[in-house]
Amino acid sequence: MNQNKDQRDDVENEEASEESGDTSLAAGGEALDLEGLDLTVETVEERISPSETNVFDK
Amino acid sequence: MIKLPSNDFPVTLAFPPQGHWTQPHLALPCLKAWLQASGYGDVQQMDLSVEAFDHFLTAESLTRAAAKVQQRLPLARFDGDRLPLGQMRAWRAAAESAASARSIIGRVESAKAILRGQDHPLDSDRGFWDPDRYVPAVRTLYHGLRLVSAAHYPSELTPHNFTMSYSNDSSEDVLAATLDEEQNPFIEFYREQVMPRLLERKPRLLGLSVLYGSQLIPALTLARMVKAALPDCHITMGGGFLAYIGDKVMSAPGMAECFDSMVFHEGERPLLMLCEALRLGEPLHDVGSLAWWDRADPEHPVSVKNMAAHPIKLDDAPAPDLDGLPMDKYFSPQVVIPYDVNRGCYYGECTFCTLPTVIGPGYRTRSSETIARHVVELRDRYESTHFNFITDCMPPGMIKELPEQLIEAEAGITWWADARIEPKAYDADGARRLYEAGCRKLLFGFESATKRILKMMMKGQSLKSVVEVARNCTDANISVTFYAMVGFPTETREEARATLKFIEEHADIIREVSLQTFHIDEVAKTYKQPEQFGIRVLDAPGDLALYHDYEADVGMTQEEAAEMFEEMMASFRRNLAIFSGDNIFYFMQKSHYFLHLAAGETPQGFSGRCADRTSARAEREADPELTVSEGLVTVPLGFSHSDAVRTLGDPLARAARPDFLTGRYVRDADRVAEETLPPLDPKQRFLLYDPENGEFVELRDGGVRVLAALREHGTLGALVAAQVRAGASPAAIDRLEQFAAELHRLGVLRAAASTSPSTPVLASARG
Ligand code: B12
Ligand code: SF4
Repeated sequence: MNQNKDQRDDVENEEASEESGDTSLAAGGEALDLEGLDLTVETVEERISPSETNVFDK
Repeated sequence: MIKLPSNDFPVTLAFPPQGHWTQPHLALPCLKAWLQASGYGDVQQMDLSVEAFDHFLTAESLTRAAAKVQQRLPLARFDGDRLPLGQMRAWRAAAESAASARSIIGRVESAKAILRGQDHPLDSDRGFWDPDRYVPAVRTLYHGLRLVSAAHYPSELTPHNFTMSYSNDSSEDVLAATLDEEQNPFIEFYREQVMPRLLERKPRLLGLSVLYGSQLIPALTLARMVKAALPDCHITMGGGFLAYIGDKVMSAPGMAECFDSMVFHEGERPLLMLCEALRLGEPLHDVGSLAWWDRADPEHPVSVKNMAAHPIKLDDAPAPDLDGLPMDKYFSPQVVIPYDVNRGCYYGECTFCTLPTVIGPGYRTRSSETIARHVVELRDRYESTHFNFITDCMPPGMIKELPEQLIEAEAGITWWADARIEPKAYDADGARRLYEAGCRKLLFGFESATKRILKMMMKGQSLKSVVEVARNCTDANISVTFYAMVGFPTETREEARATLKFIEEHADIIREVSLQTFHIDEVAKTYKQPEQFGIRVLDAPGDLALYHDYEADVGMTQEEAAEMFEEMMASFRRNLAIFSGDNIFYFMQKSHYFLHLAAGETPQGFSGRCADRTSARAEREADPELTVSEGLVTVPLGFSHSDAVRTLGDPLARAARPDFLTGRYVRDADRVAEETLPPLDPKQRFLLYDPENGEFVELRDGGVRVLAALREHGTLGALVAAQVRAGASPAAIDRLEQFAAELHRLGVLRAAASTSPSTPVLASARG
């Protein structure tokens, strides 16, 4: 059954919003507060980790 | 055979999406060759699977897909308070599309050219052989399919599978899917790309191959469209998947609207008989192995099943005919020709295995002389020296004889095949001879390192012989892949871990592992005699259900086996070179690793390079020359992408999606998951897509600020110098450098060519 139909209908007919490009939060010549900034990096492990279904065959 | 000039009976055979894309599949070439040898001169074959991939992965189609995603899944729509599980997959698709669409559209053509070895006139410069060009190209194509999938959300098309929100085990679902244009990408594809050709050709018979579950909905979709447009065309289907569920399909309501008949098991003789009956206007009762609808009362078609046809004498069958297949569209620089050396399995005892039943009972083989003759014929006709011998496994006699014949015929080919552990045949001499005759890779059914389990499986092999065979092959420079199984009835966690340990301890002789979880289909011995295996098979809902859940008093539950699968795969990713990092694409793109071997690389050499590549990446440091990758895209998000990926990876969430192998999902799973897995709280995050690398990375506000500053200063060295001048502490500089090094490892920051630790190009001898 089309279990995702309800929420799909919710999201239809909305304005497109492609917000790509740089966010200019640049700190040009000034010092960055390097100790205060949150520099966490999150990766998506190759997107071919076993928990991603639909990606392997035998 | 009936020799008749039958050019007035146009036949079209089509392989519907989705099948693996690196090489042609064999069923239709065998059928075409047989029909032609029997006098049918007008047989067309189409690989609609590779055509669809090729079509979807064009700048034009992807531009359309991107527009559709914006319309169906605009990112702004999700800017709510919290992101519930029910919207997470859609949001993820929207976020990734926003970040990657433009870059993918710009790069898709060159990515295809790289995989096909068409990117440069000089062989030696072709990106296929260079992992730093090959891997991003493969990723670009995977991401392109993500975009196509997002446009048809919640459907998912990958190089390995096609699933929808409709379940394969219910005929009502399957039939509804064939009509759902929003979610079924193939309706438009067929209408625009396929139907015009069929309307012009007006075949009298259309034959569809349904090897995999992933083809069921796409095949019925096409069948329904052709039935409507060409009511006089007889539509038949055949193929491995139908050997399992054919009877159920033939009893399901509504199926008669889509097609007319179905061939079970081996197709050559039945298809010819069907063509004859149709051509001569005779009734279908005598067509062997055929199930069909008697439409005497058009309102109430009645399903009829005929007697099985006799199998053909395989050695008399002509060589497969690949004419008409789009050879330049496969995602491979050289076409690997499939060729069936035998049908069925000479051993046929393994209790979990249903392979030998797929093409009908009994074991048949071509003689080694015939194989060598055909191989030479095919080599010259299709100008390729690469072969995939399609076999459930090679019998010992053939392992001895075939090399002699291939050498004598000066075939000069390379090939890979599935195999069974046969210590006498794969002794040191035998392995060397196989290599001389072009064998470069063998895939053995290893399954388990526990004697007790092997005995229950009736594998008939000892661990000693397993090691012996793998070592002999490795010493002869033949790469060894093991099939392994987790979750066989009564298997404990400890036993599964013993299998893992065994494989990893022998990583020098086992290069790849194809790991599967045990599952029960209705053909298997474990289904028919469950008590023998200490399990209780549960009823499966759904009129097309093929796979069953089970309960066991001893050993891992199904869920535990699924967890163990993850544990084992994660460990292989750490400990097998070809599985490490992004090298795993070589395993996933079946014939691509083989082509490196065929070009002269040794298994050890290739593994070594993969390992070097992974460690070179891990060792990347904060080089002062680091710059922000050109074309890096940053998209601000209202939630954390990695939180979403983690949540969606939870077994509860995954249960709500069709399973990879079985195509099933747990009906109530979305509700249970929604109740258990909390929605995501809003977080300010940034999703980065690096087109040169083809991967996503998520940063927070601070990271994006640093990137902006880095871009402004040009290089990491310049940024560090500026920060030192501005009074940054050594600890602060250290943080900056660690951040930069991590992004460098992920490919987001790049060192100028001269300073970057270069990764070796695989395959020194390219051919
Ligand atoms: C080779 C192979 C692969 C190769 C294919 C490479 C290639 N390009 O050829 C690779 C490695 C990619 C592969 C992958 C997978 N495979 Co596989 N594979 C096979 C295998 C061993 C042989 C298929 C083959 O080519 N046979 C030779 C030809 C000549 O025979 P045939 O295809 O059966 O065709 C004959 C008849 O079926 C019939 N026929 C076929 N089509 C038609 C059409 C018409 C009109 C007619 C009249 C007759 C007809 O006539 C043909 C000639 O006699 C079969 C098992 C088997 N023994 O059949 C599994 C099999 C097809 N695979 C299977 C599966 C499950 C998979 C995977 C999902 C993963 C897995 N766990 O193995 C993936 C899916 C890939 C995807 N969706 O992209 C299943 C499919 C059924 C099912 N249970 O779902 C099979 C049947 C094995 C099994 N478990 O029973 N596979
Ligand atoms: S697992 Fe291999 S050897 Fe065993 S029956 Fe199946 S095809 Fe034959």
